[in-house]
Amino acid sequence: MEVFAQQALNAIALGGVYALLGLGLAMVFSVLGMINFAHGEIMTLSGYALVFVATTLGWPFGLAVISACLLAGAAAAMTERIAFRPVRGASLTTMLLTTFAVSSILHVVFQNFISPRPIAVPVPEWLTQSLNVGGLQIGTLQAISIAVSLVALIGLVGFLRFSTLGLAMRSAAQDFSVTRLMGISADRVIIGAFAISGLLAGLSGFLWVAQRGSVDPLMGFVPVLKAFTAVVLGGLGSLNGAVLGGFLLGILEVSLRASLPQELLPFRDAISLSIVIGLLVMRPQGLIGRAEAVR
Amino acid sequence: MKQSQMIRHFALSLAVSMTAAPAFAQDTLKIGFAVSLTGYLAPYDTPTVEGAKIAIADINASNGPYKVEAIIHDVRSDTVQTSVVVQEMIDDGANVIVLPCDDDPAIAGGLIAQDAGIPSFSTCATNASLTQAIGEFYFVNYAADIVQGATLAQYAHEQELETAYLLVSPETTYTGNLPLYFGEVFEKQGGKVVGKGTYSLGQQDFSAEVTHITNLDPQPDVVMTSAYEPDFPAFLRQLRSAGVTSAVYGSDGIDSPTTVSLGTISEGVVFTNAGYPTPGTRLGDFFDQYEAFYGKKLSNSFAATGYDMMQVIEAAAIAAGSVDGRALRDAIDAIDGLDVVTGKISYAGRERVPARSVSINQVSDGAVIHLDTRVIDAAILPRSK
Repeated sequence: MEVFAQQALNAIALGGVYALLGLGLAMVFSVLGMINFAHGEIMTLSGYALVFVATTLGWPFGLAVISACLLAGAAAAMTERIAFRPVRGASLTTMLLTTFAVSSILHVVFQNFISPRPIAVPVPEWLTQSLNVGGLQIGTLQAISIAVSLVALIGLVGFLRFSTLGLAMRSAAQDFSVTRLMGISADRVIIGAFAISGLLAGLSGFLWVAQRGSVDPLMGFVPVLKAFTAVVLGGLGSLNGAVLGGFLLGILEVSLRASLPQELLPFRDAISLSIVIGLLVMRPQGLIGRAEAVR
Repeated sequence: MKQSQMIRHFALSLAVSMTAAPAFAQDTLKIGFAVSLTGYLAPYDTPTVEGAKIAIADINASNGPYKVEAIIHDVRSDTVQTSVVVQEMIDDGANVIVLPCDDDPAIAGGLIAQDAGIPSFSTCATNASLTQAIGEFYFVNYAADIVQGATLAQYAHEQELETAYLLVSPETTYTGNLPLYFGEVFEKQGGKVVGKGTYSLGQQDFSAEVTHITNLDPQPDVVMTSAYEPDFPAFLRQLRSAGVTSAVYGSDGIDSPTTVSLGTISEGVVFTNAGYPTPGTRLGDFFDQYEAFYGKKLSNSFAATGYDMMQVIEAAAIAAGSVDGRALRDAIDAIDGLDVVTGKISYAGRERVPARSVSINQVSDGAVIHLDTRVIDAAILPRSK
């Protein structure tokens, strides 16, 4: 029972990080219909910013995290302005290739101008400790992961529900052309979506980096893959779906790792992806995706 | 130009060049570096090449019988690109080929060099089986997995550790086999492997594996893994947060500033690498030389093994008195006790997997301290898988 509770906690903490990641991808997808594969590199950038602010400038860790998130938001908005706006309205393939191009350019910039080797992140000691609550080991970082994901999700829901830009984004997610006909500026909605997606990348970047203890140029690849899986599982185009998909993926991964026999363990990623495919066969539009016909 | 004219022209230029050349002309030894300056292997290939460049500068300044000419091309950690570049370098007259630090590109490029009868080395691929997969012209440079695993097991036995838990990832031979070599030698020395866990590269979240270890009763004396960044720091952090106090042993993949920067988390971690730069030793001097050459501090031993590799190639060329592929190969294969930056290296009688010293180090008070440097006895080495 204790082991089960421990694994359940592990699953929720991991699911929260995946939900944040998936939400970042889903924000941009909901307005542009494009999966931004450069999302992982924005995460990496926030990691480098965290190291720079905390080590070189010597600011307190909390302040460094906030500035890294803000920088990630600004950087994501900049990629929109520089790389994605010129190809807006182009075919989906063009946009997808542009995201790969931005991603590889950032890789090379990180490798050649920062370092090909991992750089250590000065994670404060208190972040790595753990509390023992009734036999359950709750790591500070785990608790923070859960708290940060919840606060970010609630904040985002509030923003989408109660602000004009949020309302515009929600309606853009449903039908972008009608939204534009209502007099909403496309530029504002899109750049807003990128900025929020960047902020989320910054937050998940912090949680990711705090767990691994270092930043390296290629670290964005795995998280963006997980985010992509979460988004597809939840339903492309649905923000709620991305969150649900993220939590489900986290729970799936941890339960497989906890319960599979030793000989099957190397196949757990294959098994978890097969389960995802199975779910998608039953619900091709994702768990809460829009079940609409293609016009 | 008519043919007779051409021959006359050629003969004339030959005569001119022969008279112009000094009698003690240095021969050129052309080394082709088909290495990854970008991509996932860049963290290992880049410092190795940096070290090799220092060696080449030293060799060329020493006025020895050979002048080294380096051709360096980035293969972007890509297997296909490695074969293309190696073929180009061979066409370009390379005498020795240096390959990337991983099995797949090393095999792809190594097979082409093998067909051409040209010796090749991987910067730091540690899989001893590559010598079988590629053939008699391929040499291992770095301390092989079997050597590191056996050295750590021997050390663990000396520390009177009796039970071990192994954490492996079957995705690479390094992360998959090194802990098994450790386990094999550890059991041969009287220890017992009480459990084995599996992870995926880059999974980061080790909560499930750590919960398994926490529930082992009794706790293992040592947890051994060849996981490296980002997996190792993430695993270690979660292991220690869960209150597991077993010793943790790792291999050269964690020879990185990150390991030390983890604070109390990494206190006591033991790992092997190719050498510890004790001040006043040849390796200590090399670390200073690197800093003077590049204006930055050296933080791992890959640059030193890059320097070693160039010394091996130069020594072989001098012994062979030729840059012919077969002669060079035989000369490398016969190297015995050559003094290099990290200590002594021998290929003679070792099936192209060098006997070289391995250092055992420990993280202590936010720094790496040196425990021992030893050359493992070939008799206790496990068979490479």
